[in-house]
Amino acid sequence: MSRDLSPLLLAATCVAAALLALVPGAQAQGDQAPAASASADEPAPPPAPRAPYNAPMPGGSATPRKLLPPGASFPDPGPSKVIYPPQQIPLRFSHKKHSDKDGLGLKCTECHGAAATSVAASDRLLPSPKVCDGCHGTEHEDLLAVKAGDPGFGSCEVCHAGYQPDHGNNVARVAMPTARMRSNHKIHADRNIQCESCHGAVQEIDLATREQLPRMKGCFGCHAMSGPGKGKAQNDCNVCHEPLPDGRMVSAYPDGKLLPPRWMGNLEHTADYIERHKRVAADNTKACGSCHNENFCTDCHDGRVRPRSIHPNDYLSLHPVEARLDNPRCTSCHQEQQFCQPCHTRAGITMTGSPGNLRNQGRFHPPRAIWSEMPRTRQHHAWEAMRNLNACVACHTERDCTVCHATQAAGGRGFNPHPPDFASRCKSAASKNPRPCLVCHEGANPRDLCR
Amino acid sequence: MRTPPPRQKPPCLKTFASLTLLAMVALTPSSARAIDTEVTATTAAQGYALRSPFGDPILMRRRVMQTLGLGVYHLLDDEKPTGPQISVKLRLRLDADIGIESSETTFVRGDTRSRYVPGLIEAPVDLMYGYVEGRNLAGGWLGFRLGRQYQSNSLGWWGFDGGLVRIQSPYVQVEAYGGFEQRGGLPLSLGRYERNGVWRGDRQGLVDSPDAFAMFLEAGRAPAMGFALESATPYWLHARLDYRRVYNTGAVAASYLPGAQGALRTYNETRTSSERLGYAMDATFGDHGAGKGGVVYDLYNQFFSAYYANLDGFVTQRLTVGADFDYFRPTFDGDSIFNWFTQTPITTLTGRGSWQATDRLDLAVNAGVRWWSTDDDPDAPSTLAPDAAGRVGDQGTLVDPKASNTARLTDVLGSAYGRYRWSTGRATLRGVFEVGERGRREGVDVGGERYFHGGKYGASLRGSVFDWRDDLRPDRSATSVGYVVGGMWKPGPMADVLLEWEHNMNRLVGQRFRVLALVNVVVNR
Repeated sequence: MSRDLSPLLLAATCVAAALLALVPGAQAQGDQAPAASASADEPAPPPAPRAPYNAPMPGGSATPRKLLPPGASFPDPGPSKVIYPPQQIPLRFSHKKHSDKDGLGLKCTECHGAAATSVAASDRLLPSPKVCDGCHGTEHEDLLAVKAGDPGFGSCEVCHAGYQPDHGNNVARVAMPTARMRSNHKIHADRNIQCESCHGAVQEIDLATREQLPRMKGCFGCHAMSGPGKGKAQNDCNVCHEPLPDGRMVSAYPDGKLLPPRWMGNLEHTADYIERHKRVAADNTKACGSCHNENFCTDCHDGRVRPRSIHPNDYLSLHPVEARLDNPRCTSCHQEQQFCQPCHTRAGITMTGSPGNLRNQGRFHPPRAIWSEMPRTRQHHAWEAMRNLNACVACHTERDCTVCHATQAAGGRGFNPHPPDFASRCKSAASKNPRPCLVCHEGANPRDLCR
Repeated sequence: MRTPPPRQKPPCLKTFASLTLLAMVALTPSSARAIDTEVTATTAAQGYALRSPFGDPILMRRRVMQTLGLGVYHLLDDEKPTGPQISVKLRLRLDADIGIESSETTFVRGDTRSRYVPGLIEAPVDLMYGYVEGRNLAGGWLGFRLGRQYQSNSLGWWGFDGGLVRIQSPYVQVEAYGGFEQRGGLPLSLGRYERNGVWRGDRQGLVDSPDAFAMFLEAGRAPAMGFALESATPYWLHARLDYRRVYNTGAVAASYLPGAQGALRTYNETRTSSERLGYAMDATFGDHGAGKGGVVYDLYNQFFSAYYANLDGFVTQRLTVGADFDYFRPTFDGDSIFNWFTQTPITTLTGRGSWQATDRLDLAVNAGVRWWSTDDDPDAPSTLAPDAAGRVGDQGTLVDPKASNTARLTDVLGSAYGRYRWSTGRATLRGVFEVGERGRREGVDVGGERYFHGGKYGASLRGSVFDWRDDLRPDRSATSVGYVVGGMWKPGPMADVLLEWEHNMNRLVGQRFRVLALVNVVVNR
């Protein structure tokens, strides 16, 4: 069999070329070129002096797991960048030095006084710089005219990383975008839940960064406890996540999507999740419904536009062989008599149909001598039916089968299709629904047929 | 020549129009009460041709789908997201194919050119779902749904009209429901959620010819009931048990051949459509791994129709490896004779691995075997040899039920998935292969989407190459090359538009084209 593949190869080449054009790398080169030349013209800024206390741990080393918030893994990739957008904290500060009992011995609330009464994530809980004035001798009353304290201990560069004396009143800005969650410190503080329970051992580190923000797995320590032990710590997603009007949580933000982690029921939406999701939906649709509504499911499971993530291009040509090889998957979305049969009947593929549909009918299956006649071989329709009856049903109605498989008394040819263990199930089945018995067997009471 | 009767305008269109009006009214501002309203609409137009394997006819599919959704939330005026809530949701759909010819939907007795297809409707309208829901009532212990609704559980994806009550305790959740299964042929209904095996629908067009297309059964009400038990906590261990029973009612044909009594019979008793028990569970073992398992027992057929198990190991933070086992044996509606045909299960065993290489790139592969075995090997035909009259058993008699010649068909299969995401787009790859005695297929599908101007515009491209061989019909083997080019436009936060052009080539159909236009609109108040 010879095939002229030249037009196919040409088309494939065009597709590949266009796909390459979509890949970001190609465009990114063009985008970055001007920036690279600009940086070549300007002198590189002098490296900032390495100051202490501008990172969680001295020397910028990794924070030990025991100091991280509960639920942090190790190595720790940090909290979600969607929930907690990246921050800029150009400060030098040591929580350890301030809270150490052998040192200043300050409690968290002495600086973060608003934390105990905060009811929203948008509340600003960083201490005002005026809090520092008492000890450092500085004056932050007017932020447009801040006065330094004693040289050394009260100078601006003690706290403001990167500050140079010629910067005057200008310091690098602290940027802490509001977390995309519902956060109620007061509820936790009122129940005597300590800061460390959610933020880890902040008192043991220097600069507190996003690393010390709560991890969802840590929240689950209380919010997913069994039975009454969890108290009032509800485990609804919307307790912490921002809700939509229909009760789902907001899962899509302009700079990213919230996706479930692997440790939570193995829900991680891996690249092959389309094949795995049915196992989740089998016992935990509440998890799915946290982010997805019915429309998301019906787009595929009762859709009218072919989902390309499931059925690739040219699926009209591909579907027969896929159905023949692996039929069970089709029925998860398609009711065969409603979805398959109308098209197959219209196209004249089926045995059953109107004269106009059958006029151009050809033989769909292997030759009759192989497919239908004795002796049976592995190409016989009986074997195919035993292996993949769902595929038969996509075209054939009951009548097609009864012509041969009904008893002779009922007008058929009496070829028995029943399995060897049928006798043990026959009576019970007939008592629940005798209709299929009557299709092939004559007799007023089908139960009389059971032996 | 007889003149076909005038075509009736689908009565459902009036309902569709009425509900469109209702949605508009819902969007008009009323009081200052904190009720949230959402109206959604999706319009999809598709055009393509479907050619019979024998050349003719060529079906010109000209499909237009229009959905209209309405959601009204916070009817209890409680701002607390975890507080008691009453809401109303519905979604209507018009699914028209204006390529359907009138001769395909109108039955004319004796017309030798008729192309009538029972149950085929040019523009059906269905209510996809429409219910009132209460959540977190009675201090969080009670929930309900009333109306047309979906269920997804170990028994599959299902839709029914009725009521559901959910009682939530700290340890377990109990659900009980009852109503009618959604059946094709009934008003505002499609047959998507029926069991397979019975061709069923509205026989109104055949009312004067009861013997015509007797195998197309009249749809009747299908009373259904069930319950579920589901664990509530802890999050690392979850399980759900489901039971459901559905009945068939109404008179249906019970024979297609004029037997000794000389006439086609009907059956008109309430009878079982399906009765199944399903159980599914999952467990996560900290950072070490996770497992899932499930089983479905068909009480009508009296055998396990499906069971599965999966075990995954979390090798590193980014690498997961696991194994899947899946057993499937098809079952059908209780009215169907196909339940009682000899059939044996298909079993699949695969290994899988997924690797999140970077925050942008993740890959997954799986491969394994699928086998089907039977006690009846036709290469050793002693078990079912024909008798002197050429029959293989009759009246329920097996020639030699004790003889056994086991035979097995084994396929090797696998797939690979890749995904690369960045802030303005993504690229995907999927490859599959299946090889076995019944044939093989393999291919790859590569696609990409990219958005411009802050997501206002987008472009997509998808290319694919697939090759297959059908060993039962070698003449239908072919290689296919195809591509899809698409453009997206988001005129505002409430709407987006998609246009796609698909072009496929293979030796069986030559060139095939498909166009798709899609408009989504969401309005919130």
